[in-house]
This record gives sequence, C-alpha cells and structure tokens, in this order.
Amino acid sequence: MSDESGRTLVLTVPDWPAVAAAVEHDIAPGRPVAVLHAGKVIAADAPARAAGITAGNNKRAVGYRCPEAHIAVWDEEADNRHFSAGVGALDNLVARFTLLSPGTLAIPLDSLRHGYADEAEAVETLVSALVDDTGWEFFPGIADTVFAAVLAAGQARRVESGQTVDFLSAQPITTLEYAGAEATALIEVFLQLGLRTLGDLARLATKDVNARFGAFGRHLHDLASGRAGAPLADHVRGEQLDVELDLDAPTARSDTLGFLARQLGADLLAKVRRQGLVCTQITIELDAAGGQSSSRTWRIEDMQENAIADRLRWQAEGWLAGVGRGSPPGQNPRTAQPDTQELDIVDEPAPDAEDFSDDGIIALRLIAAELTTPIGATRSLFDENTGQITHTLERLQGLFGPDAVLVPGIQGGWDPAETNLWTPWQQAAVPERSPAAPWPGALHAPRPTTVEHSAVDVLAADGSPVEARPSGLGAAPATIRFPTGQTETITDYSGSWPIESGWWDPNRAVYRTRLQVVTDAGRALLLSKEHGQWYLTGRYR
Amino acid sequence: MDVMSAAPVIEQLSRETGISTAAALFDKIPPHPVDPVLSPLFRRGGLPRGELVTVTGELSLSCGLATIAAATREQKWCAGIGLGEPSVSSIADLGVDLDHFVNLATPGEDWLRVASILIESFDIILVDPGFAPSASERARLLAKIRERRMSLISLRPLSGGTEQIEITDTRWTGAEHGHGRLQSCLVRARSQTGTHRFLLPGPSGTPASVPAGTLEVVADGGGASIAPTTDLDTDPATDTDDDPRWSTITQLRQVISHVG
Repeated sequence: MSDESGRTLVLTVPDWPAVAAAVEHDIAPGRPVAVLHAGKVIAADAPARAAGITAGNNKRAVGYRCPEAHIAVWDEEADNRHFSAGVGALDNLVARFTLLSPGTLAIPLDSLRHGYADEAEAVETLVSALVDDTGWEFFPGIADTVFAAVLAAGQARRVESGQTVDFLSAQPITTLEYAGAEATALIEVFLQLGLRTLGDLARLATKDVNARFGAFGRHLHDLASGRAGAPLADHVRGEQLDVELDLDAPTARSDTLGFLARQLGADLLAKVRRQGLVCTQITIELDAAGGQSSSRTWRIEDMQENAIADRLRWQAEGWLAGVGRGSPPGQNPRTAQPDTQELDIVDEPAPDAEDFSDDGIIALRLIAAELTTPIGATRSLFDENTGQITHTLERLQGLFGPDAVLVPGIQGGWDPAETNLWTPWQQAAVPERSPAAPWPGALHAPRPTTVEHSAVDVLAADGSPVEARPSGLGAAPATIRFPTGQTETITDYSGSWPIESGWWDPNRAVYRTRLQVVTDAGRALLLSKEHGQWYLTGRYR
Repeated sequence: MDVMSAAPVIEQLSRETGISTAAALFDKIPPHPVDPVLSPLFRRGGLPRGELVTVTGELSLSCGLATIAAATREQKWCAGIGLGEPSVSSIADLGVDLDHFVNLATPGEDWLRVASILIESFDIILVDPGFAPSASERARLLAKIRERRMSLISLRPLSGGTEQIEITDTRWTGAEHGHGRLQSCLVRARSQTGTHRFLLPGPSGTPASVPAGTLEVVADGGGASIAPTTDLDTDPATDTDDDPRWSTITQLRQVISHVG
C-alpha cells in the first residue's frame, strides 16, 4: 500500500451541530447558537464561543453568559440531512467523496490529481465552491491517513506527504475520541499509564498493545502510528457488489423508503457476507422519476441494514427537500412502523393516489464502496449466540414494527411507571430522568410487577370516596371499584404517603398520594391519587 | 411390578415423549438453575429444559420472573410475551439480568406465532398466552420446545406441562391497616413435589425462605403441624394422575429402581 493512495483531503465544518441547528430553525447568522444534548452543550458557534460558552456548560450557564443565545436540542437526523443536502456542490467537482460523520467529509486525493494542478489549487476550488453554495465555513486538512486528515482539518493545516507520523505523534491522546464512544475508557487508561500523546502510544510495540488491549487497542495503535486502516487487496476491489430495486410507483414517503432500504440493505450485506468480506462504506444511489439522481457514500462503523436505511432516508429527505418541488417528506420525522397492513402494501405496491408524485424516487441502488476482510468483524467466541438472538429479534421487528421488541432499562422516578425505560431493540436508550439523582419518596421493594393506568374508585365503609390529605387518609378504605364495575373488598392497606416535587415550575409540578392495598382476592395493588382521582398504577402479579 | 410389564410403558414413552433410553429419562440435559428458595418446587431442582412449565395463580408473574432469574445471570436469553408493561425495577429486584431479558409488546392473538419464532434462539420464554392453542398447535409447540431444548413457562393453565406450579394462597404482610407498607408476601404453592411455602417477594424483593416463627400465619392451611417449608400433604404420584405421561414415567422409574 503506497503512501499516495491513503492521502486524503478532509473538509470539516466547525461546530457542525450548531450550524445545522441554525439552518433547521432559520436562525439569522451572527446570532449565538448553542446545541444541547443530555443537558450539556455539545456545540456552540463562533459568536456563542466568543461569549464564553464552551462544550460541557449546562443550560443555566449558557443563560448567564449569553442571554440572547438560541438554545437548540441536538437532532441527529437534522445534522445528517442538512449536511447531505448541503454538499451537493461537490457532485460536479469530484468523482468520489465520503461523508465521514455529519459535518465532515473526505475526498481521496487520487481522484483530484487529474483535475487540478496541485493540492493547494484543488482545495481552494473545492472550498470556494462549497462556501459559495452553502455559506458555511469549511476547514480543509490534508494528510496521509484519514484520521490524520481529520485532525489536520480541525487545525486547518496541510501535512506534507511523509510527515504524517511526526504530525500525529505531537497530538494529544484525547484525539482518539474520533474512534468512537468506546475509546473513552481506553483513553483514560492510556492517560493513567502516562501516555499523553499519540507518539507515546505509537512507540509501544504493536504486539504488546494487542496483548494488553485487544483488537480495539490495536486499532487505536494503528490510528496513532499513521497506518491506514485495513488495506484493501486488489481482488477485493475487483468485486462490484451492489443491489438495486426498481419501484413500480415513485414514492417520496420516507417510511416506505426506509422499509425498502432495510430489505435491500439486508440483501447487500448477505451478498457481502457470502464473499467472506465485510463492508465499511456504502454508496447509496437514488434515481428520481424526473431523471435526476443522487449519489452519496457513507461510512458506517457498525454496518447493519437499520443503519443503511437511516442513511438512505436522510439522503432522500435532504435531496428531495433540496430539489424543492413536490411534497418533501422532511417535516415527517415519524419513525416507520411497518405494521402488518403496511407490509401488505409493500409486498404488492399498489399505486396510491395519495403519495403518487412525480418527484418521488423510482429506483434505489446500494453499492458496497469499501470492502475489507472481516478480521475485526468476526463474531467473538465469547458472546453466546448473540448473532442468532439479533437475527430473531430483527425478524420480529420486521413483522410487528420496531416498537414491539423492547429491552429493559431503568431511569429515575418515583413510581414503576416512571422508572420504566423500555427501549426498542438496537436503539440507544434515552433516559429522561437520572437514576443517580435522589428521588425522595420513591417506592421501595417489593415493587409492583406490572404497570397499569386506569381510574378506579376507592370507597370508605359508608360508600363515600376516600379523601387523601397530606396528614393521611380521610377514612379507612373499604372497597375498590374497577372501571369494569367489578368491586373487591379491601382487607388491608398501607399508610398513604404523598410526593410533592417541582412546585416551583407549573409544568413539572407533581403532587400525588400513594397507597398500597390488599383485596379479599389476595391481590396487592398500588394506587395513587392525583387531581382528585384515584388511579390503579401497579399490580403485584 | 416386574420387568416384563415395562415393555408397553417403554413403547408408550418413546412414542409420546421421544424418550428412548433410561439415561434420557434420568439425566437428560441438566435443568436451568433456579433460586435455592424455588428449587424444591421442581422435581429435578431446576427449570427443566425441553419442557413446558405452567405457573398459575396470584403472583404467577413474580414467580415466573424469579424462576428465570438465575438462568439469565448465566447469560441465558429470556423473552416475555403478553406480559403487558412489566415494571423494570421489579424485574431487577427479582434478580433478572436486564441485559438478557426482552419484552415483546405484540398483540395477544399473535403469541403462538411470536413464540414459534423466539423458540429458535431463546433459552427461556415466559408467556401469558392470549388464547388457548388447539390440540394440534399445542402438540407442534411441545415438539418444537423439546427439539430446541428450551424452557417455556406459561402463566396460564396449558395442558402438556410437565411441571405445574400453582400458587394457592398469598398473604401480604407489613401494611398493618394504614401504619406500614407492604413488606413481603407469604406464598403457598403446590407443585409436583408437594406443597411449599416461601416469601415471594421477600423483604428485599427476591424470594426468601420463611423465617421461623411465622408458622401461625397459615395455621388454617392444614399443614401447620408439619415442617414449615415442605409439608407434603399431597403425594406426587397421586397428584399427577391426570397426566398419563407423568404416571408412565413414574411407573418406569419404579421398574428401573426394582431392577437396579
């Protein structure tokens, strides 16, 4: 593998999430924008940074430093969609480019050599075309590996051919965060071992790093020492692996496209697997009914049909919105829920008068753009039948919709209904409330096994409703009447305890009283009274 | 019973349950481990594999979840079907490893279809069936369970089960008429091995054995004069007379013990 073929130009938009948020919400340029994720600032644009806002600030700190700043919540979909649409100007200028992550794209310099005299001229042409087209600021960076080029782009510099190793060795070890979230733990270990720069890490023997930190550690070591990722053997590239699907009727509906892309992606990945290879980059080509086409190459770390479907959807939404005619589905972020009815429609695509539009997409094509040997991607000997489990659960998701297969998680809250965090299989869990925060008055074990929510009547012995006061119950509860009209006698009941929280904010104010009762049927129930009404909130089953 | 009379029994066994050798009858595959408090409920001390188990009565869901807990901690995958919205905190309290539990929020009328897909790769399925399967569907389901060597726990009566656990009585303690909160529940359960008493959930949420001194609480249960944990008021052989397969297995076991 020569130095030449790895040499890459990376163009990056600094603070991309903030820029995307400004585009998404139509914010005037010059107004400070901060993007929040999980309560912390993850990106801020130049005016916001000038006002002192840095990554890691919380919302209140942003308010103190810069009251006029617009605070947006991070939206991954918008990030991808706007970037995919924005870089359209490159289509006419370069043969091949790859979207590394939202806000960052890579162009192999090989592909520019024929069109431009030298690297400087190429960069100038490309950047000025992009800036004219989008109005965003692009930082270029050139180096011999993609990772080094990304770092160089962060500093807007060009690393001379052959100087990449020197350039990398001076970078702090924290730059390895590029390799993904799982690198964070390893970076901490490196720091504790006194490895402060990439050079320190690169000086260790590959064998030792592999023995101590496993395959991922070796990957980081490769990045740090400026070795290109898994090299592509020529015969591997000789294969053209692609799948395509012609639609009978053009569609612009993102849920339909997403669903088709999933199947198509699965086909492609099966084809790739049959060759004994893995695919790390994928090119998605879309043909519109009007004859236009859109082609983008995406790099996906964890290549799966779901990831492919997401990229295809983003690309289609961005593109159709950019074309600007017909009915762009951009405002339609609802997740595709292919229930059985929709399945039938997909199986026999009947032209539907509703979504038949000339601007829809008529053909999809997926091409495996980069294939590597599956050395790092083979299933580990140590995880027991996870692959089969994944396959089974994905099949069920295909049949009943993604929300039918749920994995458990726990978040903060007082009652089981609040602490429950059921997340669809293979989606990242997003807890709304921190489980680490104190939750005074939270229910202790034993807790109800199922969560219910139905209005019930709790009656005292004289038939009047039981009142709940902060000091306790108004009367001893004697019977409970369910919505079905059925009644059961209460044989035992716990003390009632109130929860009061968020009284300073009318939107978050919570006041409720809870009570556990045991009925003559031997059933234990958790009740709560809120806004003057008793509810059945949990059942001990 | 002499050795000759065993021949028709053996034939019946191999036809009905696929058991062809005595070894398969006695030490087939080891059962999944269960919590020590629950293991006396099972004939072989654990959740049998390749068989259907029914857990019925009040608190059956808690009992089912407590049964799968030890297996999920040994990296066995478990799925729940038709359980409504279980509360994650109670699942964790009962000792289930959350990384190996999946809940299927599928329509009740599809439970058989969902189960037949899950049987392929899951080790344990906990199901509250939305409808009773027909005889032929049930036979196919049982054959599949046996073939895949997985355990299916049904929270409703379903014929064909080899272990039937029925919770017959529950007594919650701790509420004290407005002066406390629910602490634990004393459970009386009947299974093939007799009648057992234990706390489910115990004070910490997990199953616990009955502490000494709580005997009088179930004094009307009929078993107060015997040992507190295993009062064998039912004989396992007579208790399961309605299941022809189990009685043939018992017969065969007697034959073999005579021969040995």
